[in-house]
Amino acid sequence: MLKRQIPLAIVFLTGMATLFGWFVDNVVFETFVNDTATQWFDIIASFAMILGSLNLLRVQGEKVLRRKRNWIYSIFAIGGFFFSITVGFLFRGANYVEISDLGPNQGAISEVIASAENIDPKIAAVTLSLVEENEVFEVSRIFITESGAKQLVDDLNANGAKAEFKSKTWGGHILEKGTLFNWMFVYLFTPLSATMFALLAFFVASASYRAFRIRNFEATLLLISGIIIMVGRVPLGSLISPWFVLYLIVLGGGIVSNSYFKDVKRTFQITTGGILVVTIAGFIAGWSPDSIYFLSFPVLQEWIYSVPNIAGSRAIMIGIALGMVGTSLRIILGIEKSFLGE
Amino acid sequence: MKSKHVLISIGTFAILFAAYWWFGHPFFKEGREVMFISIVSLSSIILYYIAEANNGAKIFLRAIPGLKAFEEAVGRSTEMGRSVLFVPGIMDMDQVETVAGVTILGHVSKMTAQYETPLEVPVSRAIVMEASREIVKESYLSQGRPDLYNDSMIHYLTDDQFAYAAGVDGIMLREKPAACFYQGKFYAESLILAETGNSIGAIQIAGTASQAQIPFFVTTCDYTLIGEEFLTASAYLSQKPSLLGSIKGQDVGKLIIMIAILFTVVFNAFHDLGWVQYDIKQFFTAN
Repeated sequence: MLKRQIPLAIVFLTGMATLFGWFVDNVVFETFVNDTATQWFDIIASFAMILGSLNLLRVQGEKVLRRKRNWIYSIFAIGGFFFSITVGFLFRGANYVEISDLGPNQGAISEVIASAENIDPKIAAVTLSLVEENEVFEVSRIFITESGAKQLVDDLNANGAKAEFKSKTWGGHILEKGTLFNWMFVYLFTPLSATMFALLAFFVASASYRAFRIRNFEATLLLISGIIIMVGRVPLGSLISPWFVLYLIVLGGGIVSNSYFKDVKRTFQITTGGILVVTIAGFIAGWSPDSIYFLSFPVLQEWIYSVPNIAGSRAIMIGIALGMVGTSLRIILGIEKSFLGE
Repeated sequence: MKSKHVLISIGTFAILFAAYWWFGHPFFKEGREVMFISIVSLSSIILYYIAEANNGAKIFLRAIPGLKAFEEAVGRSTEMGRSVLFVPGIMDMDQVETVAGVTILGHVSKMTAQYETPLEVPVSRAIVMEASREIVKESYLSQGRPDLYNDSMIHYLTDDQFAYAAGVDGIMLREKPAACFYQGKFYAESLILAETGNSIGAIQIAGTASQAQIPFFVTTCDYTLIGEEFLTASAYLSQKPSLLGSIKGQDVGKLIIMIAILFTVVFNAFHDLGWVQYDIKQFFTAN
């Protein structure tokens, strides 16, 4: 019983506090709703991460140990997990060199720094010339290994400078450029994420193809709206004369009349008549785009985007809002208990 | 609770609130009156219809093809001897959509337990994993098949959006589930998941309240629960009177909103024509 009643009581109290906290003009309430409650959740979520990580290891480890199908992929998952843990928590890989005294031979020092940072020695010389007396200069390159940094210290000291080997603080090594964590992030994680994201471009194309296939009236409307939006949003769209659009409308009218009357003669009459009317009107108006500007692609796309589109999405939004109120109420009042496994 | 008692409670609350307002309404945040009244009114309507449904009133629900297809999808998986994949979105339990998705998982897992079909639920949040396990375990127990349940059915992949999408895509391509359910909160990964599901020929049922993702699901999935359909799916599937009553309450709320919109449009037109002095838009924008 307690397993059910205590969570329900917690849900009720926090739900009510959060809901009414929005309407109460009191600092304590506001702080609870806006900060404290969300921080509690973040803390719980952080601890839950440990559960998630252990589960990941268990599931993938089981696959490897029992040689389940495709177990080879699990090795990569486990390897990636331990590598991330290592570079995040165990191995900083963020060593750098600090120079407290540049010494008399600044030319040689700038050569050494330029070689370490892989930049032009002149740039290094200019940078060093800006360093004031008694100012500590930090070589911007971060060394993943200690030996690399120590080698630079030796080279600098051999040329008369006073250089020291240092490491970035724990936590700082995640943010600094050039650290092992940063390397992993920039050269492994980001390209992989970008690859997945880039797939969207191709998937959008294939999904659009499916959506735009003319199967019924709605799909045809979608196709026409899609074309108008696409053409209207590119620079070429504004160069197309609205008179051309008017001709397209006449031709579209011909298609509609043909599907409705199924009479070639009548379709021919309607289409030809329409073309004639548009042509005569065009000559009278001097083919000026301003006279029927409302039919230009940019104006049409703007109308489709801001009137029927917004109307439809607002209708969905109202439905979602009502659904959310209903769902939240059911959960807060303990009417809906499925999320507790009931 | 009887509907009469609900009405008395609502009336008492209204009187107490009116008295509180009369006495200067201390601690009430200025400018949120309309929102407060709207929420309280809507909640009252929902509670009233819940009480009505509990007292035996018949609630008619129109058939939602997407929800009817749940059993068909699980049945297809059973016939093909393949698994069912359930994706409860990429957000945590602090999102209503995730809670709704996990609730739907409870119903789907009842079907998989009944049909003895393997179920796979990759999750992107550890809390969702724990909640899902509890629900699925309970569902298998309720169907008398606790032997078919194991914790590995619901497993954690990663918190990262695209890494999660890659992981789920991998599962789809390797395991080739016959049915894929996407029920929860989704972002850009929705199309990646649904297109991959489409490529393996799985029957796909999506449900989300993430407005921007609905078109993607509509084009790639066999059935899509749009917005409130998704949020009411649990009630529809369980057929519990109390939950069905809340749907009726929501619909009555929607009707009131529609009337209010019409009234506002007409009133605003009168204002624009100069027949009415009061600008009703101010009422909504100020509150």
